[in-house]
Amino acid sequence: MIEANGLTKRYGKKVAVDDVTFTVRPGRVTGFLGPNGAGKSTTMRMIVGLDRPTSGQVMVNGKTYARHAAPLGEVGALLEARAVHTSRTGYHHLRAIAATHGIPRSRVTDVIEMTGLRAVAHKRVGGFSLGMGQRLGIAAALLGDPRTLILDEPVNGLDPEGVRWVRTMMRELADQGRTVFLSSHLMSEMAITADDLIIIGRGRIIAAGTLQEVIDSVTGTSVRVRSPQAGELAELLAGKDVTIESLEPGLMEVDGLSAAHIGEAAARAGVVLHELSPRNSSLEEAYLRLTAQDVEFHSGPVADAGLQQAGAA
Amino acid sequence: MSAADQTTAERSGRRTASRRGRQRVALQPPNLGRTLRSEWVKFWTLPSSIWIIAITIVVMVGLSALMAWGLSLGGESGAPQDPGAGGGADVSVQPGEGAQLPALGLVAVTFSYSVGQIVLAVLGVLVATSEYATGQIRATLTAVPTRTPVLVAKVILVALVALGLGALAVGLSWLATYPILQPEGLHLDPAVEGTWRTLAGVPLYLAAIALFSLGVGFLLRHTAGAIAAVLGVLLVLPILTMIPIDWVQDLALYLPASAGERLVLGAPDDTLSEWQGYAVLCAYAVAALAAAAVLLRRRDA
Repeated sequence: MIEANGLTKRYGKKVAVDDVTFTVRPGRVTGFLGPNGAGKSTTMRMIVGLDRPTSGQVMVNGKTYARHAAPLGEVGALLEARAVHTSRTGYHHLRAIAATHGIPRSRVTDVIEMTGLRAVAHKRVGGFSLGMGQRLGIAAALLGDPRTLILDEPVNGLDPEGVRWVRTMMRELADQGRTVFLSSHLMSEMAITADDLIIIGRGRIIAAGTLQEVIDSVTGTSVRVRSPQAGELAELLAGKDVTIESLEPGLMEVDGLSAAHIGEAAARAGVVLHELSPRNSSLEEAYLRLTAQDVEFHSGPVADAGLQQAGAA
Repeated sequence: MSAADQTTAERSGRRTASRRGRQRVALQPPNLGRTLRSEWVKFWTLPSSIWIIAITIVVMVGLSALMAWGLSLGGESGAPQDPGAGGGADVSVQPGEGAQLPALGLVAVTFSYSVGQIVLAVLGVLVATSEYATGQIRATLTAVPTRTPVLVAKVILVALVALGLGALAVGLSWLATYPILQPEGLHLDPAVEGTWRTLAGVPLYLAAIALFSLGVGFLLRHTAGAIAAVLGVLLVLPILTMIPIDWVQDLALYLPASAGERLVLGAPDDTLSEWQGYAVLCAYAVAALAAAAVLLRRRDA
């Protein structure tokens, strides 16, 4: 269980995390989704006490992280940047972490087995591939058999087999009743892995809830209506929670009403319809739309890059 | 382990067992002892640690042997002034003051501290900054989020390494120089007053320098900057002693290296005794470490 309450982090004038409140529940995989620079990593660093919140607080299993007697038994964290001295072997890295909590060698060997690192465990970490480094980070996170796992971009650099392995493992850990909190900037990854979703953009929570709730709340089906009497129909449909956008004469897009509702309303009023097509935006589109205003670095079309540079600043 | 630790460990152990039912991992809360064990593992599993220590001892003992050889030649020609001996020998070869100042054999055994201090300064800095350079510090502070035990454990580790290295280097230097100096009658005589203090002075001085450097490393968190700062203080600031202005001279007396070196070189005047000088150096180390402790807890990692 992770509970953030009014969590805020400022670096000088820049607000990295802005008054964020959320709960991550045990027994579920919770995705933390947002574009790069949205504040995901900063939030995760605050959870394990690496960064001190400017205001607000975040508790893990009822206490702030540092107040737990044996923190590695509460939270296992894989943070985005590698946290390993490159000249040490993976085995010794894990042994050093294990020593702080009196974790026996047998457990070190266990997590090496679990993460498939046996072949490279006695090689220097500096020579690890990105995927191996990621596995070592996950091994370190699992050392204390923690009730809560926090993983920042865990599938970064993993090959497809590794990605599937992480997904399966997250699911198993959640099924054992643990809290699993993982970040990603890829909606598609989250759609496969997560039960719950928290979307963050520019340090603020944009949406939170179960995966389905978030999808429903953001994908809101719109209906495209073509009719020679578009103006008349628009008046008919107008109401609270309904937005009607006129795309061109005789064509409009209606948000907030189902196609069936529009069709029936048109039939009752004797309005001729030439087209009535519901449009489901994909999750990916919805996510892009949600965070469109919130990404820090917009990319222009490649061909226009030169012009963009001149004009964007 | 204290009784309180024991119960917390048991409680967290039970909790671990009850919520899982599978194989359980027994956890003990991180205390100073376990943090020190972790730091110990970290230090000795870096190949560079072993290399640095081995090379330093070889160089220190080698310099002592070379010095002894030079002195033995000088003894034959009746001119014990050794041009290669540096500041240490200059101070010590004053006739008449021999009672307070180290004798030649002792100088040969101990003078290589000046090389050792550079290595230990770098080592002390690296124990702190290499963690920041590699990101290891995040793993370290996540495991021990109260942070202070990490600093204290590193202080103990660095002190032990420096004392051990210094003692070993002095011991081996003694052994190496004895057969060279003994025929000339220049060999070190433990019965002479101050000899043991000078011998112990090398590891003690090196430990204080290493701890001061550790503190600076934690304060600056960047290897190059911290090494430059420490070597600046140790090697560049003493140049001040050459400026013939009274207040500069007074100030220079209290520089960490000049003050601390008195323990090894002897006190050439009555401003600061050997141990007072060493206390001044220790005060610098304590100040640096205290500031480091405050900032370590306060800063983002």
